[in-house]
Amino acid sequence: MKHKRFLSRPLEALTWLAAILCVAGLVHLSTILVMPRIAPNTSFARIAALGPPNKLVLLPALEPGREILPFEDPATAIAACPYDLARGPVRLRGQLTTDALVLLSFHGRYGQTFYAMTDRSALRGRVDVVVATRDQLDDIEANDAEDELPQELRLESPARQGFILLRALAERPSLMGEARDRLSSLTCEG
Amino acid sequence: MNLFWKVAATALVGAALGLGATALTVARGFGFDIVQAGPWRAMPQVPATGGDPYARAAVARSGRAPLGSAEGLGFTAVVDSAGTKLNASCDYRIAGAMPSARFWTLTVTDTKGHLVVSEGPARRAGFTSSEIVRDAKGDFEIRLAREARPGNWLPLAPGVFTLALRLYDSPHSLSAGVLDASEMPVISRERCAS
Repeated sequence: MKHKRFLSRPLEALTWLAAILCVAGLVHLSTILVMPRIAPNTSFARIAALGPPNKLVLLPALEPGREILPFEDPATAIAACPYDLARGPVRLRGQLTTDALVLLSFHGRYGQTFYAMTDRSALRGRVDVVVATRDQLDDIEANDAEDELPQELRLESPARQGFILLRALAERPSLMGEARDRLSSLTCEG
Repeated sequence: MNLFWKVAATALVGAALGLGATALTVARGFGFDIVQAGPWRAMPQVPATGGDPYARAAVARSGRAPLGSAEGLGFTAVVDSAGTKLNASCDYRIAGAMPSARFWTLTVTDTKGHLVVSEGPARRAGFTSSEIVRDAKGDFEIRLAREARPGNWLPLAPGVFTLALRLYDSPHSLSAGVLDASEMPVISRERCAS
């Protein structure tokens, strides 16, 4: 009896240890996977708090401790258009008149960057992007004229909500005003 | 100890370990496919499909909006090229190669990606490639120090800091994993205050 106890104890401890590791692994993996959905202060939450959806907002100049998004470049002017496709697609439009650097990125609500481009990929500086859900895109395509190519770039948003982030580089601090103007010349409408 | 308590303890300890591992990996931004080139570590990118779930979780938790690969690449460094933690009690010199890009910027931030204020009139937080003063050969040298230095001086505020390097509109891509330390600028520590 005594001999048997001696053998079974470490084995039993090992079994419980394995069970603990299994639980730990499951909890770890599942929290990593749901983190984009449950994290309280994601980039989308920060930008959606700036104002009503489907409107372009210029973010205030980066000030230490008062940044809206972390890890942004102080040499860039930043604007955002939070969108909600519930009542239809959202369209970003405008004309870039200079060769200065403008970055556009399109983010789904849960953080995925589903498209990105720079001013170089805008034909003759013309920005015209439609963001829509799959169903809305199908509707748009059904109404396309047969013999005409669409003039705008069409993107499918992975979620109903998301945001477009616009960054313009000010090569020198004195050009920051110009960079902000470049962004505010674009419009975002739902 | 009866079976109920053993099961409860297992669940509790397991959950605590799992949550601890999540907190640790998310805070430190670990991922499967982190690109490291010398002291420079690539900022995570979160593509629409696929991608690293750890990068996705870390990005969501930090609240950052990562650059898309068509916009450019970002890197951060928390150590110098010798592997010692960056601290404003030392002076640093940044020089050497720079991967090709339409523009690049180098910025000093704290470890959470917020700008830091340095005392004095120099409120500069970073340089863009257009602002840098270069020598006759086109090479550059940036000096990081708490007190003013001649040339390209980036002021530091006390404490540990992080360097952020961004390559805008760059032909390099993270997925190709082509950048190695020799193509990136070298961060060398100079004099330290005792």
